[in-house]
Amino acid sequence: MNNIVYIIVQLLVILLIAPLVSGIIKKVKALSQKRKGPPVLQLYLDIYKLLKKDVVVSETASWIFKATPYINITTALLAGLLIPVSLKLTPIIFGGDIIFIIYILAMGRFFMTLAGLDTGGTFGGMGSSREMAISSLIEPTLLVSVFTIGLISKSTSVHNMMETMSSIGTSIFQPVYILCFLAMIIVIIAESSRIPVDDPETHLELTMVHEAMILEYSGRHLALMELGAAVKQLVLITLLVNLFIPLDSIITLDNALLAIVFSILLYVIKVVVASILIAITEINTVKLKLFSVPNLAAISFILSFLGFLQYFVVGGSHG
Amino acid sequence: MLGFLIVGSVSSLIFLNNSKLGNVLSNILYGIASITGILTSVFHLISDKDRIHLFHFTSNIPFLSFKLEISKLSAYFILTLSILTLCVSVYSISYLSQYYGKRNTSLFNFLFGLFILSLVSVFSSANMLIFLLAWEVMALTSYFLVIFESENPETQKSGTLYLIMTHIATAFLTIAFITIYSYTGSFDIVNAATVIPPFSKNMIFICLLIGFGTKAGIIPLHIWLPYAYPAAPSNVSALMSGIMSKTSVFGLIQFVYVVLGGGFEWWGITLLIVGSISAVLGIAYALMEIDIKRLLAYSSIENTGIILIGLGLTIYGYAKGNTILSSLALLAALLHLFNHSLFKGALFLGSGSIYYSTHTKNMEKLGGLLKRMPYTGLLFLIGCLSISSMPFFNGFISEWFTLQALFQSIGISGNAIKLIAILAAAVLAMAGAFAAACFVKAFGISFLGVPRSTEAQNSIEVPFNMLLGTGLLTFMCILFGLFPQIVLVLLDKVSNSIVKASIVPQLKGFSSFVYYPKGLESNKISPMLILTAGIIIAVMVFLVVKFISRSTKERKYSTWDCGFKELNPRMQYTATGFSKPLRIVFRAIYRPSRELQPEGGTSPYYPKTMRYVVRTQSVFEKYLYTPLTRLFTASTGKIRHAVQTGSVHAYLLYIFITIVGLLIYYRFSNS
Repeated sequence: MNNIVYIIVQLLVILLIAPLVSGIIKKVKALSQKRKGPPVLQLYLDIYKLLKKDVVVSETASWIFKATPYINITTALLAGLLIPVSLKLTPIIFGGDIIFIIYILAMGRFFMTLAGLDTGGTFGGMGSSREMAISSLIEPTLLVSVFTIGLISKSTSVHNMMETMSSIGTSIFQPVYILCFLAMIIVIIAESSRIPVDDPETHLELTMVHEAMILEYSGRHLALMELGAAVKQLVLITLLVNLFIPLDSIITLDNALLAIVFSILLYVIKVVVASILIAITEINTVKLKLFSVPNLAAISFILSFLGFLQYFVVGGSHG
Repeated sequence: MLGFLIVGSVSSLIFLNNSKLGNVLSNILYGIASITGILTSVFHLISDKDRIHLFHFTSNIPFLSFKLEISKLSAYFILTLSILTLCVSVYSISYLSQYYGKRNTSLFNFLFGLFILSLVSVFSSANMLIFLLAWEVMALTSYFLVIFESENPETQKSGTLYLIMTHIATAFLTIAFITIYSYTGSFDIVNAATVIPPFSKNMIFICLLIGFGTKAGIIPLHIWLPYAYPAAPSNVSALMSGIMSKTSVFGLIQFVYVVLGGGFEWWGITLLIVGSISAVLGIAYALMEIDIKRLLAYSSIENTGIILIGLGLTIYGYAKGNTILSSLALLAALLHLFNHSLFKGALFLGSGSIYYSTHTKNMEKLGGLLKRMPYTGLLFLIGCLSISSMPFFNGFISEWFTLQALFQSIGISGNAIKLIAILAAAVLAMAGAFAAACFVKAFGISFLGVPRSTEAQNSIEVPFNMLLGTGLLTFMCILFGLFPQIVLVLLDKVSNSIVKASIVPQLKGFSSFVYYPKGLESNKISPMLILTAGIIIAVMVFLVVKFISRSTKERKYSTWDCGFKELNPRMQYTATGFSKPLRIVFRAIYRPSRELQPEGGTSPYYPKTMRYVVRTQSVFEKYLYTPLTRLFTASTGKIRHAVQTGSVHAYLLYIFITIVGLLIYYRFSNS
């Protein structure tokens, strides 16, 4: 019973909040440029509109092209299922293993890049090729930073990692956590195709990565791809905020149900704050040219490795 | 018991001259032999007996006692071999039909049987001389199988390179064996841990590492591998990559544990470093290949690297006295070995199917095969997903165990290992992402998009046998991805017999078959459960989407061509183009060079056609092997002129000096 509640709550929260993140980012960016910008809930409307539209499928495309939107959204949701939005919800039967999460997201990417190659156009291949290059560069950082946190909590389970992080209190300002936090931010920016690695709003062939891959999609397929990307972005943000901003312990209500409701509210606030911060970062940076991305990846790897070294020398943990 | 396997293999040699009948019959016999092999090795693995003597024959010749016996370790390797052989035999029945009338397929099958026989002997020999003998037979039969399509000069060159490298390996193994003999006084494979001093142990280990490492294709001893695997027919490549390169892992475990009794920490660390380098460089080179079989060959280097990472941690953990780490890492290594033989076998067979119907291995000439060969495509896709260690497939399970072993090793004391292990984990993550990129390219360029040549355009699905052979392997990829317990139960016996520790009490949900996480302490995964959740989510999403968009229509139209005329196949992304971003990022490793030449036309500024060539260089060939070869040729040239003068007097002098030398040696060795 507990598990079913967990699954339903988790899926609903993630599905409902995911499009909000992009909305907030767009709104903040528009405001900074003295524009009114689209409404915060625009992506929901877009997705609904796309679901009602006809689908155009390329003559060249095989079944992979049609299956990918479903695989993409499913893997994103599964990854979301494995990262608890709140510590008050304890997943019992799910081993929310961080390695599993990384690889299941990789599976979504695998199919997305295949779909890019499936239509036989130039854009898709270009997007796939770039996406794979960027992900190869960013993957080591992700693993080193989560391993470092995992070593401190002596587990690779996300839930245990979150518990450890929320139990250490103010020592979260130790360099090891700050370094890993910064490294993870770069990872998230790269993985969710945001400035400065990729620009989700452009359709210029020189710059686009993610948009190039899904260029051939339309109608409900496009809706699923957009939703999948939004969910993936939220999943990564969830991982970041729940690991490095663990405020769940401040809720000390006796009533279990209320505690869950409040912790989810707290989670929503954390996500909103994170989205605003991402928007501010985007306002203040420009998109890097493709071959400057390796430098960024190198910086993120060095950050995470320094984080590990700090743990290695000082011993990390509760002090 | 396993005698049946031998009988099966040998009896197939009779049908030498009737190609069709001989081929079908011998492959059926190999199939039966492999089934008995599977059964007997599984029975042995679950039985309580430690080892079975198969064959014991003592001859009058000193040292040469012919002795075959099966330990738990060899039973596990024979199991892997038998599974792969079964599928390859089924596949070969149709695959070899393309050679009828052109080549002697019976000869091929004879060599094939001998090759498998030699592999079985390598795994079960209890005597170092027999081991070496079987090893040589294995090397020679595989050499002949590699040069099966011998009219191609490229193939001959590959074969020669393979022959040279494999004999360097044998030379180092011989040194190691003789050193062991000089301490134990016997060529039997027995525990000699107490009689060999540490220094000699280290020397033996280095010799074994070079000897077995060459066979495994670790970097920088890998240069023969990307030539030999692609040159061989695909069914042979599958066996060579799937199991022959694993004989070296077997040898390392056998000699380090059974003979040398464990080893030192630095052995483990060396293997860990070597493994990591092989893993990332192997797959990095694979990414640049446009020949589909060379791509697979390089990826074998990567997978051997991952196995060696596990093995290194095993030896390190054992030397440290940490049996949990040691048996976990051994589990990871041996599981990955098993999995690799399944998915790499499937991929090599799949590439053979591509070759069978298109007659090319060049990805730049393929494309759009998924519509023409739907089943081959699906099987190849499953192979690609497994090898890229995607969840729900077997590759992921062993990769997870390897990462867990690394994770555990950072926890234990020892500063060097911590740093190396975290770097190895980072390297493994990078190798994983490279592998995904590599196999997206392999599948995407060959099977998706528009055909790039008429051969690809006109390709048709391969015969049922070939699909069945590949299909069995891919089926097992999924089966053991969801239920790895089946292999783990057998593996536990092996690790029990080698590191004297069982990881089972530490593994959760070990014996239950469904919905239960498998894990170590608090780290657990449950592929089956998550797959179920995934299917439910996918179905729900599908139904909801179907409901909302119930009134929409689906339309077929050509791909967006930017408003120009029609798209043509040449506008697609190519295999070379796909890996370009990484080629530029890692230009320090690849050292790419490009040539751009305008051709035709009246003015060089308005050429009719352009010739564009991109090359990458192997750093190892350029900076290690070329100077070595040059040095060797130069020095042998000089020595030849100095020593072999052609004068009879000089030769008489040599004989005289030798005799005097021998007499002096005899005088002093007897006193």
